[in-house]
Amino acid sequence: MSRPGFVLEVDDRTPPLVVHEGLGFRLEDFPPGTRVIYPPESLPAIDDVDAAIREALLNPVDADPLPTKLFAGMRLTIAFDDISLPLPPMRAPDIRQRIIEAVLTMAADAGVDDVKIIAANALHRRMTPAELKQIVGERVFRSFHPQGDLYNHDAEDRDDLLHIGMTDKGEDVEINRRAAESDLLVYVNVNLVAMDGGHKSVPIGLASYKSLRQHHNPATMVASHSFMDHTKSHLHHSAWRMGRLLKDHLDIFQIETTLNNDVFGAPYDFLLKREWEWSVRDQASMLAVRRGLGAAPRRLRHKLFHDLRSPYGLTGINAGDTEAVHERTIAMVHRQQLTEVQGQTDVLVMGVPYLGPYNVNSSMNPILATCMGLGYYFNSYRGQPVVRRGGAVILYHPLDEGFNQLHHPSYVDFYEEILAESTDPAVIAEKYEQQFATDPWYVHLYRTSHAYHGVHPFYMWYWAAHAMDHVEEVIWVGADRRVAQRLGFRAASTLSDALEMASGAVGTSPTISYLHNPPHLIADVR
Amino acid sequence: MPDTSERDDDLGAGRIAERLAGRHLLLTGVTGFVGEALLELLLSETPATTLTLLVRPRGSTSGADRVRALLGKPIFARAVDDAGGIDAVLAARVRVLEGDLGAVPALPAGLDAVVHCAGDVSFDPPVDEGFRTNVLGTRGLLERITEVGPHVHYVHVSTAYVAGRRRGAIPEGPVEHTVDVDAETEWGMAQRRVVEHASRSADVLTKLRSKAERQHGRAGLLTAAAAAEADRRAWVDRELVRVGTERARSLGWTDCYTFTKALGERVVEERARTAPTTIVRPSIIESALRRPHPGWIEGFKMAEPLILAYGRGELPEFPAAGDTIVDIVPVDHVVAAIAAVLASPPQAGAAAYFHVVSGARNPLTFRQLYGAVRAYFDEHPFTHGDRGAARLPEWRFPGAQSVERLLATSERAHKLADYVVGHAPRGDRTRAIARNLDRQGRRLEFLRRYLDLYREYAEAELRFDDAHTRGLLAALHPDDGAAFGFDIDEVDWDHYLREVHCPAVTAPIRALDDVRRSRPPSATPVLRPVRTREEPTAAFFDMDGTLLSSNVIETYLWMRLHDLSPAERVGELGRIAARLPGLVRAERRERSAFLRSIYREYTGARLSDLDTVVDEVLTDLVLSRLAPGAVRRIREHRAAGHTTVLITGAIRPLTRPIAPLFDHIEAADLAADARGICTGFLASSPLVGESRAAWMRHWAAEEGFDLARSYGYADSHSDLPLLSAVGQPVAVSPDVFLARHARRQHWTIVDWASPDTAPRGIPR
Repeated sequence: MSRPGFVLEVDDRTPPLVVHEGLGFRLEDFPPGTRVIYPPESLPAIDDVDAAIREALLNPVDADPLPTKLFAGMRLTIAFDDISLPLPPMRAPDIRQRIIEAVLTMAADAGVDDVKIIAANALHRRMTPAELKQIVGERVFRSFHPQGDLYNHDAEDRDDLLHIGMTDKGEDVEINRRAAESDLLVYVNVNLVAMDGGHKSVPIGLASYKSLRQHHNPATMVASHSFMDHTKSHLHHSAWRMGRLLKDHLDIFQIETTLNNDVFGAPYDFLLKREWEWSVRDQASMLAVRRGLGAAPRRLRHKLFHDLRSPYGLTGINAGDTEAVHERTIAMVHRQQLTEVQGQTDVLVMGVPYLGPYNVNSSMNPILATCMGLGYYFNSYRGQPVVRRGGAVILYHPLDEGFNQLHHPSYVDFYEEILAESTDPAVIAEKYEQQFATDPWYVHLYRTSHAYHGVHPFYMWYWAAHAMDHVEEVIWVGADRRVAQRLGFRAASTLSDALEMASGAVGTSPTISYLHNPPHLIADVR
Repeated sequence: MPDTSERDDDLGAGRIAERLAGRHLLLTGVTGFVGEALLELLLSETPATTLTLLVRPRGSTSGADRVRALLGKPIFARAVDDAGGIDAVLAARVRVLEGDLGAVPALPAGLDAVVHCAGDVSFDPPVDEGFRTNVLGTRGLLERITEVGPHVHYVHVSTAYVAGRRRGAIPEGPVEHTVDVDAETEWGMAQRRVVEHASRSADVLTKLRSKAERQHGRAGLLTAAAAAEADRRAWVDRELVRVGTERARSLGWTDCYTFTKALGERVVEERARTAPTTIVRPSIIESALRRPHPGWIEGFKMAEPLILAYGRGELPEFPAAGDTIVDIVPVDHVVAAIAAVLASPPQAGAAAYFHVVSGARNPLTFRQLYGAVRAYFDEHPFTHGDRGAARLPEWRFPGAQSVERLLATSERAHKLADYVVGHAPRGDRTRAIARNLDRQGRRLEFLRRYLDLYREYAEAELRFDDAHTRGLLAALHPDDGAAFGFDIDEVDWDHYLREVHCPAVTAPIRALDDVRRSRPPSATPVLRPVRTREEPTAAFFDMDGTLLSSNVIETYLWMRLHDLSPAERVGELGRIAARLPGLVRAERRERSAFLRSIYREYTGARLSDLDTVVDEVLTDLVLSRLAPGAVRRIREHRAAGHTTVLITGAIRPLTRPIAPLFDHIEAADLAADARGICTGFLASSPLVGESRAAWMRHWAAEEGFDLARSYGYADSHSDLPLLSAVGQPVAVSPDVFLARHARRQHWTIVDWASPDTAPRGIPR
């Protein structure tokens, strides 16, 4: 049985602890008294995955079994979570491949021949054929991609979008026309963190910009406490309203999966263990990896990390009605990731790793790093933030990876032109969002190349809005000073310097919490 | 204190002012250093003397206006105020005679004396100019003086260095030589024609042209031709100096200046037989000791560039022996001596000679000069820039030979480094190195020029006798000592150099440094936001190297390699690698030939396949290499309503990924046969070098764009015509040549780097 998460209080026997920072990690000596929040250990995986899938499809929650919904001559659309999930990508075979194959088998049995498979990438970049193949597997790819039956959702293709209606709060609901006009929409999700899944799948993954802007905006984001808790997230409230509206128009069969915390395989598995429990072999691996990374040029380090595939185990699969399914999913996510924490502290320390949802096979640019630290990790709480209002956040990342011009062209301009002028999410949204969202060049790149939508960097910035609003001071350890300054933050060379710099906001002997993440973790702050 | 009895004998009783009272003097060269000092002295100290100034009009400024401007200078303030303003001075005692030494106008009747200070001050004038000013100018002036009458006292300001390469004691008398003045003058005046003629000979032109084509061939033949013609003109100038110097040295003079000055004296000596004539020979004239104020100096004379260079730490050594005498004399001593000469005209029959020098009585050695200058800069270092005081070199006076060796070695090293940098891969570093090299090159050029010029003087073991001048001094009225004294013994060299001369010559540089310091440090203009205009404006962009880091060989390989097996890839890479040296040579020589030879490689490819390969494989590669700054700029132009144009030597399919950014794309089209298979030839000549500019002009005229308002962006030497064709050129991450050109022309230079996260290989 795996051990639950726990909170370590650093004392003089505590060894240096792993802190992720971009394409590497460091061992940091934390001041005595620091709370270190560890996630629960990896849950045991389901042995017979195919049987579990079959079971879920045949005995769905609050819905008829899938085969009863399939009939010859119907229009069936299968949508699935794109490359932003899970992180790191899963070792083949991907769980989505197994589910899609099972669904397709049942569809074939029922004589369904109008099937389209759509990546629900919203405003994310189009996936390359190789990336699609990695998710759906060789067989599905071969049978569907060449005919154009496996493709990326295009949020700018006016012909392939359908305006469904308005929610009772006046929010536009507009999604992929093929999905909307199907007799059945099967959604295959990977619920890596608590934010994913539920009505965030279809109403967001297959939406247009017009629909997304209803909830992807600073006002909503600042009021989402946190968006890792859909019951308290304004973002999710909006998505739920949309999902309920959609449900009246469209038969959605939601399939959600949960994974355990096996994010690092050998020889990196020491990163999953608690440092004082490292064996001699773990110590040796750690030393070898550190030396190797220290000597490797950045390009090679980038390749080493981005080639990692995680040996995730499946902890649960549920299918059927979206909300009922999601309730079970969230319970499982919480079992794997929730650690109880007593009260807030003055300072929150987090290490930003090499990977986030939007830089798979790409680079972690400064805006993504900000989103990762202040957006995702900061919001990994339930109840109240780990850090008190007016406290300080200390992040680790060198912020030196630059921009991938192919994937993130609008990010470069956002960084060079907009952040140079203001870093206030509200001001930025007001003044520039429309311009970037409708820019024909960005639209062209989004639709024909592999670029994130022009408006995407704004969303990254909005993700961080709640944290920026909540804390007084954000300090990056080991970061490029000019970059940190451009982002509106400060840089320190060491943790002690960072604490010194934060002392204006939190005093000279602050209470400190370190979120030992990854693997994924939600702090349940009481 | 001079003996009164001697004074009575020579000058008669009375002070200089009294003796010159009621006299009418004509001065030439008052806009020059000595002439200005002389004018100031006479205006202030000889109130009853009438002065006529022979002044050449310059441009649209008349002689009279030049005199007005001159009298407006601070040193004349006292004299002018005493007289009641410039107009009062001009009305009362100063006349302006407008004219040139080339054609001297008739002189006013009633002249009593003429002081000729005008002359070419450069040591290395083109030979014809040397003769024109120093021989013919003097002769023309003397002819006009003869018209006025034989009583006029002519004072000729020459130089002590007319002694040329003679050694030892130089008497105050005629220079001994048997040179035929007329023959030499005729030869000298003919040289411009001769050299101009020679410069157009096939031999010279071939050399100049092939050098220019080697350097500028990539930009095009017209660019090369323009460079060759500019080079020819420079060659003429150099050659005129060289023949003059050679002729001078073959006859025993240091350079054309002293040679023609010596011949000028011969002309003067002829006149001396029948009319009172004096020749004043100062040595090296430097800033004033006392008058009009200590340290007064106009323009840079002989030693200043060297002093300044030393102070900047840029003069590592000097080709003189430490104990060689450097003969310097303050300007106020020179003009006071001239005034004394004016007051005591000699008899006709033979010229009177006066050496106004310091070496005979109060010698200053190079070692002393060096010590004083060094001490001055130790106390008051140049602190321009952010590196603190410049390091002052230690001079050991190792002799001319080893200084020459040092310089020659440095020049060779510089040439080699320059070659290497010109051929190095471009980049920020290369450009920084090139900038450094250019600075060092300018220093070396400076050193070469000055050391060559001054070596003769630095080695001159001359001791000028000054008995006549001492006699003149001794005869001064005791009360004239203050205003007209020129006793060289009174100069304390250490004091003069450290407290008077060096502060004076460094002052303008320090002022300039202060101005520079208060300006922002960036030397090259930064990219300004584009302006929105009502008129149609175009922005022309080059592709390879400007918008993205790639070149035609690389793009060919992308196209070619994507569908080959690994083994075939190696083979293809090897084949191209073997061709590379030849291709690089072709690229340096002529870009269109290079492009053609690369495009031959496309023989047999299907045009539609190329489009497909680009869309499926290369779009990502191109887009990920696109410099973000470049894209922003293009979009900025579009937002401003400008028309964006892509001009590239790359083949059209490769422009597909960035086509939406441009309103017009001018690319190379591969010729194809009826089946759509590439023949390996181009459908039309590739647009490179000058043909780009020609196309731009044609296109702009047709579409109604004004190129002077338009923008151009390019990265390499071969794009020079493109950039020169527009009014707003921007050099983008330029190669060394273009960077140099851009800096000279004050063009904007930007660095649009492709992101370093861009993949290098072929996507799979």
